[in-house]
Amino acid sequence: MRAHDIGSSLFWLVFSVLVCMSSIWLGIGSLHQPSAGLWSFGASALLGILSLGLFIQAFLKPKAIRTESTHAPNLPSKVILVLVSMALYAKFMQTIGYLLASFLLTGFLFWLAGVRKWWSILLLAFLSAFVSYLVFSVWLNCQFPRGLFGF
Amino acid sequence: MGYFEHIFYGFQVLLDINNLAACAIGVLIGTLVGVLPGIGPIGAVAILLPATFKASATSSLILLTGVIYGAMYGGSTTSILINIPGEAASVVTCLDGYQMARKGRAGPALGIAAWGSFIAGTFSVILLMFVANPLAKMALSFGPPEYFSIMCCGVVMLTFLARGSTLKAIMMALVGLIIGSVGLDLISLSPRLTLGLQELEDGVGMIPVAIGLFGVAEILENIDQSMATKDIFKTKIGGLWPSLEDWAASKWAIARGTVIGFFCGIIPGGGGLLSSFASYGVEKKMSKHPEKFGTGVIEGVAAPESANNAAVGGSLVPLLSLGIPTNATLALLYAALVIHGVHPGPFFISSNPNVFWAFVASMYLGNVLLLVLNLPLIGLWVQILKIPYRMLLPLIALFCIIGVYGVSSSSFDLLVMVVFGAFGYLMRKFGYEAAPLILACVLGPMAETAFRQSMILSRGSMMIFVTSPISAVALGIAFLLLFSTVLPAVKKRVMKYREFEE
Repeated sequence: MRAHDIGSSLFWLVFSVLVCMSSIWLGIGSLHQPSAGLWSFGASALLGILSLGLFIQAFLKPKAIRTESTHAPNLPSKVILVLVSMALYAKFMQTIGYLLASFLLTGFLFWLAGVRKWWSILLLAFLSAFVSYLVFSVWLNCQFPRGLFGF
Repeated sequence: MGYFEHIFYGFQVLLDINNLAACAIGVLIGTLVGVLPGIGPIGAVAILLPATFKASATSSLILLTGVIYGAMYGGSTTSILINIPGEAASVVTCLDGYQMARKGRAGPALGIAAWGSFIAGTFSVILLMFVANPLAKMALSFGPPEYFSIMCCGVVMLTFLARGSTLKAIMMALVGLIIGSVGLDLISLSPRLTLGLQELEDGVGMIPVAIGLFGVAEILENIDQSMATKDIFKTKIGGLWPSLEDWAASKWAIARGTVIGFFCGIIPGGGGLLSSFASYGVEKKMSKHPEKFGTGVIEGVAAPESANNAAVGGSLVPLLSLGIPTNATLALLYAALVIHGVHPGPFFISSNPNVFWAFVASMYLGNVLLLVLNLPLIGLWVQILKIPYRMLLPLIALFCIIGVYGVSSSSFDLLVMVVFGAFGYLMRKFGYEAAPLILACVLGPMAETAFRQSMILSRGSMMIFVTSPISAVALGIAFLLLFSTVLPAVKKRVMKYREFEE
């Protein structure tokens, strides 16, 4: 956890500096006449101070010998694939429509989750997309995009 | 007419088949929504809103409120059985509920959650009925300094309750304040921290942030764990009726949870999340064995579950008597009523006695229905949850998407959800908690407005926060909480120093 704390505290330190700079650019004003940047400046300045505190705390902590990885946790490929697939869904749902986008996404996620028979994947993906469409769009009038193909 | 005549009149209106059906369907959908991770009451109310357009105002109010308190009830099921809060107010139930399930005591945990919810829900309706006007008047007398101090107290309380490092919890609360400040400045109308994106000018949506941090991050974490180590559905659920020992341990937790929940519900920004954390914190502090909290004690389930149900009744006080929704879910409820031509406010009860008293009666009936239908139906909810995880994962992802898209119809919000999902996943890996961030994110804009108004009122003097008794007490509590967190560490250092000197 020591390496993680050092890494994350540095990240938050950089983040707080960036927010502080943005807040100053917006204008801080005074306590009497607070401007748009005062609140975010105060929060980010405090965050910066606490990040430094965490960094010092982690730095002074004795090193554990061979009990922890010195690297930040790696993003496993499955995590990246889920994130990318969901981001692509968000990007293209309006274009290809809810039904098709949901069919493709759930199909991919079922495959990723370990379902290997292609007909199972197709059936489960179809049922998930169609039933959710039926319940939320047809029954409950939730407005989903129809997309290029009109469904 | 006295209260009893009013409530009798309310039951007469409720006996209309449409209102009865709305009550039953509302609590059942609410429970299902609470059971299924990813969709919270906000998403459910948003999705159901168009479906109520054909119904009357009374039926709509009964149905949508049934969804809200039904979700509070249902959220405990997933918190206890799979350590995933069905909705934000059940986050704290995971701490002891899941540990109880791991110890083979899922039945008593589910049972006390149901009974606690029923008792607290019923008492909160009684409190709503009797004390709505005086409490609303008191809340009305709060000015910006009081609001600011109470909100500060809420955030500090949450960081104080963090399981891990308090320092990291405070840092997350500050990150939440920064995220909450994204968007147009309410006074100067200049865009803040929007990265030049027009979509962020309305601020970062709370629903995509919450669903990302809790729902998507949970999916990612379980994918990461390759599903082999996920400890779910292995516990046997039996003996839903809590034992006498369980009742003895829980009775005061339920009583305190009811009172705390109801009053936290009245506070703007309070509601289920704050009330459940506050009641858990109070219970932990008052317990003879605080060290056992988090390891599976029944008070740790009874208190938050009672509180979050009581908070629903409390949060309806300012909505119905002042016309002020205190959280996003109630804002949607407010919108639903306005669409039906009913305007919540000081004249709401006198102008629409049929709506108000039927609604109060429906909450009595709804709480009974939740208990009568759902304790026997726990098997059904468990069957829903027993679907193999690989089948559940894509469905949870789909529900998360529907929950976000159903509210805003915005693809951008889906991207925000994905980004916060990745962020939530990394937060878990680095030992940061999401709950302080969420609460600060919700309270941030309100706290900022209150702070700036206070500063303008006092001409820049911070003394305004201590001259008002309510504000001074709230800030005092916040400082005491912070001090009590720092004190053990300081004591430890002093002890070490003395040992070193000797």
